[in-house]
Amino acid sequence: MHQFASYFSQKEIERVHEASLEVLENTGMYVRNERAREIFAKGGCQVDNQTTLVKFPRKVIEECRKSFVPKYKFTAQDPDFDITLPDDRPIIVTGSSAPNIIDPKTGEERRATSTDIANIAHLINELPGFDVFSISTLADDAPEGQFSLSRFYPSLKNCKKPVRSNTPNIRDLEMVLELGELIAGSKEAYMERPFINHHYCPVVSPLTFDVESTEAIIYLTEKGLPVYGTIVPNAGMTSPMTMMGTLVVGNAEFLALSTLIQLIRPGAPMIYAVLSTVADMRTGAYVPGAIETGILQMAHTEMARFYNIPSGGYIGLTNSHCNDAQSGYETGMNTMLALMGGADLFNMGGLLGSLMAFDFGKAYTDNEIAMMLKRACRGMEFSEENLCLDLIHEIGPGGSYMDKLHTVKHMRKTMYLSKLAYRLLRDQWIRDGATDTQTRALEKAIEILKQENPARFPEELDAKIRSHFPGLVPGDAIF
Amino acid sequence: MSIKDIYAAVLEFDSDQVVKLVKDEISRGTEISVILNDGLIGAMDEVGRLFSAGDLFVPEMLLAAQAMKAGLEELKPHMKQGDSRTKGTVVIGTVKGDLHDIGKNLVAMMMEGAGFEVIDLGVDVETERFIQTAQEHNADMICMSALLTTTMPEMGVTVETLKEKGLNFKTMVGGAPVTKEFADQIGADGYSPDAPSAVEMARLLISA
Repeated sequence: MHQFASYFSQKEIERVHEASLEVLENTGMYVRNERAREIFAKGGCQVDNQTTLVKFPRKVIEECRKSFVPKYKFTAQDPDFDITLPDDRPIIVTGSSAPNIIDPKTGEERRATSTDIANIAHLINELPGFDVFSISTLADDAPEGQFSLSRFYPSLKNCKKPVRSNTPNIRDLEMVLELGELIAGSKEAYMERPFINHHYCPVVSPLTFDVESTEAIIYLTEKGLPVYGTIVPNAGMTSPMTMMGTLVVGNAEFLALSTLIQLIRPGAPMIYAVLSTVADMRTGAYVPGAIETGILQMAHTEMARFYNIPSGGYIGLTNSHCNDAQSGYETGMNTMLALMGGADLFNMGGLLGSLMAFDFGKAYTDNEIAMMLKRACRGMEFSEENLCLDLIHEIGPGGSYMDKLHTVKHMRKTMYLSKLAYRLLRDQWIRDGATDTQTRALEKAIEILKQENPARFPEELDAKIRSHFPGLVPGDAIF
Repeated sequence: MSIKDIYAAVLEFDSDQVVKLVKDEISRGTEISVILNDGLIGAMDEVGRLFSAGDLFVPEMLLAAQAMKAGLEELKPHMKQGDSRTKGTVVIGTVKGDLHDIGKNLVAMMMEGAGFEVIDLGVDVETERFIQTAQEHNADMICMSALLTTTMPEMGVTVETLKEKGLNFKTMVGGAPVTKEFADQIGADGYSPDAPSAVEMARLLISA
């Protein structure tokens, strides 16, 4: 793709940037985290410690913009799975931290456990559409004091792709880093290849930095470890009920967060991850599956391009409670808008009910959507050779391409060969069991889950980890 | 004529106008209960009807309730016993462990708008507190809300405890994961899927 779809002229983009600066300079933000206020004050912002209000002079933000870098890397345990934005776009990630799972055996929604996480990690490791495993659920069986460990251990044990998620506090974060160092063999080895990729939501819209997530961002940025934040304004509730007003709030909040990060460590890689949505005012419902989410993502991506940093994040979520047509069109249309707009990162896989529950069939279907997005991104592959002028002349009018070596040579790569879509005639479909997408997707996922997981930790390493963290959940993929 | 104007001003979300019109009516000597019931509460009934029909959205309900409340504040100093609060007293809160209160707040607001005395205990309310408050205020009904499937069972605990103690406060439950079947299963007296029908259900249960 050489050009991206766009809603704005250059002048309009500059106006949105200016408007965001105005908001930060005149309105400012509440910064509940004390250390963040210190950093902002030192960086030249006006800080009122009484009210926690911070106002950002434009020159502070513009100065920080100079140290933005255009790339962001997700490191994996296995270097073959390392991924860089935007070079490897589109990068597909699972949706994360749902409390529930649709049990693949009973079909009932229930609390997710660490064993579920191990199974999901195994599946994601095998599905080629997914590039990063963001830990899909919480672990209801976590022993006291091991809330985060019970999520990261089963994930890292069963998936060699980059693992991404968050922690609720610094204590949990330090435990997770300790786990990373054990796996890497030493602190130094881990720092060289930090394969736990951290993500937080430090801003509570409108215009407020929280305490805990902001603390984690500061902690990780100071250490030089990979971290980025997602900004989540919700039009009508936490931002204005116009697309433009919400774009400005989200963009301003992103600029404030990036100012914090660049003041701590100039040149720290970042992702422009803003998940703006519009609330459904008929009920007040949170609706990430609405088409406006994709439109806003495209607009935010245009801003990211203006700042020359990778963009994307949570896009392609659905409100549907089962893997049905709504689930498909919400994920499909929103991710396609974002892709056409130039987004690099898509946190979309496996979740239903606006981030409430993981479903194996949905994850398999999203792998299909991921493969289609990657195919769409590959595009037309213009070349003189691909014009096939000699071949067109050779076959001539009225001929057939079906029995030509040229066709054989290209047929496996020109098309994305779906393993999920049903493409035969109705009679055959009925003979094959007249299945719908979810039935087939779940079967395919279960097929994978029943196989041995090749990515699992070696026994020796596992024993070392288990003796280091007594009482740890088993963390094995068992189906 | 002016009672109609109060009604209209609430439906236009015009708090200033509501206050002005209520003051006019009071100084004109119109009966307080007429201003309240035909003007303010009548308008909120219409708001509830329009919301249920999908014609009004949540922000409009909020603005109407604000306008109604502004009028009510003007009336309060003039109200004698019997003028109002005849609809019943309701204790409301989200159940133990549940902090999600947007839906509960809407219900509380709509009930106030409909003329109920509402004691809002906020979030994370334990069974004992529900019951104690209901006893202290001689309430007619306890309303419980939950968003999380894990906290829903707390509703059953309260209903059960009421039965054990032989207390006959009516109970109503609601919240995103709560269903009619669930309400029946735990033996709650009422269930409602949204705020306006909660008001309807409350009327039904309390008049019963």
